[in-house]
Amino acid sequence: MTDQANYTAQEIIVVAGSKILENRKIVFVGTGLPMVATLMAKLTHAPEIIPVFEAGAVGPPLSVGLPISVGDSKTFTGASYVKGLNAAFEMTQRGYADFGFIGGAEVDMFGNLNSTMMGDYPAGYQKPAVRLPGSGGASDMAASCERTILIVPHDKRKFKEKLSYVTSPGHLDGSPNARYTAGMQGKGPYRLISTRGIFDFEEKTKRMRLISVFPGETAASIQAATGFELLVASDVSPFPPPTSEELRLIREEIDPTGVFVKK
Amino acid sequence: METPTHMQWTGLSPDEARKALVDKDKSMRDKTMTLKEAVARFIKDGDNVGVGGFVNIRQPIAITHEMVRHGFKNLTLSFQSAGLAADYLAGAMMLDESRFSIKRIELAYWAHESFGLSPMFRYLAERGKIELEDWSNYNMSARFKAGAMGLPFLPTRSPLAGDVPSSNRTKIIDCPFTGRKIALVPASNPNVAIIHVSAADKYGNCIIRGTDATCPEIAMAAAHTIVTCEQLVDHEVIANHPKDVGIPFPAVDAVIHVPFGAYPGACRGHYYFNGDHIRWFHGAAAPMHRSGDSNALKAYYDQYIYGVETFGDFIQKFPADKLMADQAAEAQNCEGPA
Repeated sequence: MTDQANYTAQEIIVVAGSKILENRKIVFVGTGLPMVATLMAKLTHAPEIIPVFEAGAVGPPLSVGLPISVGDSKTFTGASYVKGLNAAFEMTQRGYADFGFIGGAEVDMFGNLNSTMMGDYPAGYQKPAVRLPGSGGASDMAASCERTILIVPHDKRKFKEKLSYVTSPGHLDGSPNARYTAGMQGKGPYRLISTRGIFDFEEKTKRMRLISVFPGETAASIQAATGFELLVASDVSPFPPPTSEELRLIREEIDPTGVFVKK
Repeated sequence: METPTHMQWTGLSPDEARKALVDKDKSMRDKTMTLKEAVARFIKDGDNVGVGGFVNIRQPIAITHEMVRHGFKNLTLSFQSAGLAADYLAGAMMLDESRFSIKRIELAYWAHESFGLSPMFRYLAERGKIELEDWSNYNMSARFKAGAMGLPFLPTRSPLAGDVPSSNRTKIIDCPFTGRKIALVPASNPNVAIIHVSAADKYGNCIIRGTDATCPEIAMAAAHTIVTCEQLVDHEVIANHPKDVGIPFPAVDAVIHVPFGAYPGACRGHYYFNGDHIRWFHGAAAPMHRSGDSNALKAYYDQYIYGVETFGDFIQKFPADKLMADQAAEAQNCEGPA
């Protein structure tokens, strides 16, 4: 049962994000919608998923509710292992994180993300037009998680040819072996979920490629909202609207007070 | 060999950090004192201050309030992810730079996750009032760890690309063992660390519940460490479980018993976030970021910081039922799976 008109962009992102995650894998979870999507995966097809949070918690059951911070007490209750930031990132650097789940303010066609500043870099670095929070752990996750899943709200100002600043490296300039040559270990962006559809990164060019469209969107409408030329898979599939059970889980069980999924 | 002239140590150089520790009284003595005394004694103008906690978890809020009342100039703040502690210091600078000023910040993240961006950070950065050096959470954590290990740097696998490495003093070299690129991040040895912990004894042995964040590394890297604690416990309690000690006494210079010392942020096992107050504080700073209107921010500081003598007086401004509700929420967070 679905109710197409009755869900938000954030809700379909959460459902899409959760479906990309795999059971019995370790997922390094960034703040915000990735936390909601990870809980959703755990409550549906991936009950044995193992979340890791950068403040140090490994494998919490998340049974005391949605954390509102990646260092939240709720990430520690019932966890298997808790140290601090160095331990979490050292594990990731070692290769323990199958997935990294991060967001950003801007993205380019190779999945590079900006969460640092708007303005000119480097000339305007010390006096940015808009100062954003900064990397946090996102650039470390982007470097060292084996595969990363990105979440970015989709409009022309956010899907850009050239970013103001590259905080979290994706496939860099798309050249062959760019990440490995730069010294990084993880394979880089695996999927991107926007408010309009789902994308992968084409194997050869490493360019963002539309693979699934959300209800109401087409390849053309998505291209029109994108500041660079998208690749489009030959078999783009329609992504179904969230089911009423999925919406119930988000609204009643996972984020009942609308901390990250706004009402 | 001399230090290369291009390397600017913004806290202590590794050699200075070593000397600071050699010269320090490392005896196991009673280090309890007032917050006023600790801040006046261990923090100086121009210091590099290592800030503990993570975003709004276990940040040293009481210490920052006392620093604001004392007044300091030209501080460098070093942290991975900060929220309210950095906000309180920055807000004081916004109101009167001759009374309180930050010269530079070395950071990975300054914002509030679900509570939004920091209007204080935006005000200072977008007006070009502070020097910025961006790193990542792991970079800053590894920098403190290098400092804590007595090493000048640690090799890391980030930042190796993008704009973070050119925003800071990372060196990217060819690894002498693998031939691949590797990043070297320089040690951070702050002049002083400011840290809030769950429990401590009078000697400064500290127990941290929930995330350690990077507090043990910051304390061990700094020349001096000021610790506030939710609970001041007998040494015997600590000595029964020495492996639970997160920060050992020789790294600590001052111990102050300050219940609610990380409030209105959260502290594992004690209280959850007071989101209403965090939003209100930001609401007071936002007009100044938008249009330069300082009235609301000034009123906040006059009421909550300059208008009180101690952090205890600040806490007394919150209704008891609100404090108890935040404690109850945290108790629920800790209940664990049924």
